[in-house]
Amino acid sequence: MLGWKTRASWRAGSLATFLVVIGAACGTSVQESTEYRGVLLEPGGRPEFRLADVNGEPYSFRKETEDQLALLFFGYTHCPDICPVHMAGIAAVLRDLPWAVRDRIRVVFVSTDPERDTPERLQEWLGGFDPSFIGLRGEMDEVNRIQAELGLPTTVRTEDPADGGAAYEVGHAAQVLVFGADGVRLAYPFGTRQADWKRDLPLLVSRLPPVDGEGEAGARRPAPNPNRGCSPKPA
Amino acid sequence: MQWWCAAQSSAWTWSWQAYPGVWLFILAIGLAYWRRSRRWSRAGGADGDPAAASPTAGTGLPPRGRPAWFVAGLLCLWAALDWPIGALGAGYLAGVHMLQFVLIALVSPALLLLGIPPGRPDLGRRTAMALKVGSQPLIALILFNLIIIVTHLPAVVDSLMVSQFGSFAIDVLWLAGGILFWWPVVLDRPARPYFGYPMKIGYLILATIVNAGTFLYLTFSELPVYATYELAPPVYGLSARDDQRIAGILMKVGTVAVLWTAISVLFYRWYRRESVEAQTTAGGGSDDAP
Repeated sequence: MLGWKTRASWRAGSLATFLVVIGAACGTSVQESTEYRGVLLEPGGRPEFRLADVNGEPYSFRKETEDQLALLFFGYTHCPDICPVHMAGIAAVLRDLPWAVRDRIRVVFVSTDPERDTPERLQEWLGGFDPSFIGLRGEMDEVNRIQAELGLPTTVRTEDPADGGAAYEVGHAAQVLVFGADGVRLAYPFGTRQADWKRDLPLLVSRLPPVDGEGEAGARRPAPNPNRGCSPKPA
Repeated sequence: MQWWCAAQSSAWTWSWQAYPGVWLFILAIGLAYWRRSRRWSRAGGADGDPAAASPTAGTGLPPRGRPAWFVAGLLCLWAALDWPIGALGAGYLAGVHMLQFVLIALVSPALLLLGIPPGRPDLGRRTAMALKVGSQPLIALILFNLIIIVTHLPAVVDSLMVSQFGSFAIDVLWLAGGILFWWPVVLDRPARPYFGYPMKIGYLILATIVNAGTFLYLTFSELPVYATYELAPPVYGLSARDDQRIAGILMKVGTVAVLWTAISVLFYRWYRRESVEAQTTAGGGSDDAP
C-alpha cells in the first residue's frame, strides 16, 4: 500500500507533469504563432524583375511596388480552382477596406501560361475581380527563373493526350507572396480565408513607411494602373 | 468511386457521376416501406385499435393514394442526395446545400409521412417508445431546431462535409430531424387529443420563427462563414459571399414556403371540419323542429 507521502508526491508529480504539458502546449503555440496569419518567410528584399503588363509596357516589380504592400501570385486564367479562389478572396476583402489602406496595396498576377493568357484575356479576367489588379506576362523561361529565385516550384504543363493537348493544365505554386515593410515576406497558402486577409492586410499596411502628403488634404494618389490606363477611384 | 456526395477539390463539371451509396439508401427506404405496407395490409391495418381501423387513420388521407405520397417523398429525397444537387451542395455551393436542406429536412419527410398506411405500425417496443417521446410536439420542435443549428455551424459543416461519412451523417440527421418535426403534424399516432388544428398551426408558425437566427447569420455575415464553400472551385463565377447570401435567403424562403403551404392545408382542413360539424348540427336541429 502506498503511504500518504508517496501518494502526495505522486499527486504532486502528476500535477507538475500536467502543468508542464499545458505550459509546453501554450509555449509552443505562442512560439509558433506570428502576429500574421500568413507564414513568415526569411526577411529579404523584393525581387527585381521586369515583365510586360497588359499594355505591353515594361513593369519593374521592385520599382513599381516600392513603399507599397505587394501581393505577388503566379497563376493562369484558365485555372479552375486555386487562382480564381485566391483572386476572388483578395478582391472581396479589398472592397471592404478603407481607401487609405486599399491605396497602399498592389496585387500583381504573373501568368504561368503566356500562350493562352493574351494581354486582352489577362485584362478581362483580372478586371472581373478587381480592375486595379496588375497582370504581367513574359517568356516562360523568364517566369520560371523568377519563381526559382523566390524559392517557388517552376511551372509544369500537364497535357491530356486524349484531346491532343488542346486543353492542358498548368501546375504552379499555390501561395500568394506578400512583401511588406522592412523586408517582411510572408506566404499565404491556398486555404487562406477572407477573414485572414481582412485581418492581415491593414496590419501590414500600417507598418509601411508613410508616403509624402499621406494623411493630408490632397493625399497621395495611387500609381497609374497599367491594366486600365487610369487610376482606380475610391468607392 | 464515391459512395456519397462529399466536398472535392476538383473543379465542377456537368459530367455525370454515380453515387451508389445514395441509390442503396433510397432502395433500403423503399423496400422497408414496401415490406411494412404488406404487413400492415395483411394485419388489416387495425390491429385491434378502433381508431386505427378508420380508413383515414393516421394522416387523415384515404389509403389508396398514400403510396403515391411516399414515392413522391422518396423521389424528392433521391433528387436532393444524388448528382447533381447532392454533389453541388456537398462541396461547391452553399446555396445548393441549403436547397438540399429544404428538400431533405422539410419537403421529403412530410411526403414520406403522408404515405404511411393506416393502422398501427409494427415498430418494436424500443423504436415505438423512442418515437412516442421524440414526436411529442415540444420535444420534436426543440430537437429539430437543435439539429438545424448544429448542422449549420461552420466548424461542423467544414469538418463533416469533406468526408463521405460526415456528409452522410448530416443528410441523415436532417432526414431524422424532419421526420420527428413533421410527425405530430402529419400523423395522429400516438393519439394527442390536445394537439388539434390550432395547436398544429401554432407549432408550424413557431418553427418559421425559430430558424430566423441561422438565416440572419448566413445572410448578413460580412465574410464567408464556411471554408468548404469559400475555398471551393468557383461555379459560374459566383462569389462566396453572394453564394452565402443566396443560401440564407433560400433557407428562409424555402422554409416559409413549405411551412406556410402546410399551414394553409391545415387551416383549410380545420375550416372544412368545422363546416361539416356545423352542418351536421344544423341538420339535426331541423329534424327535431316541429
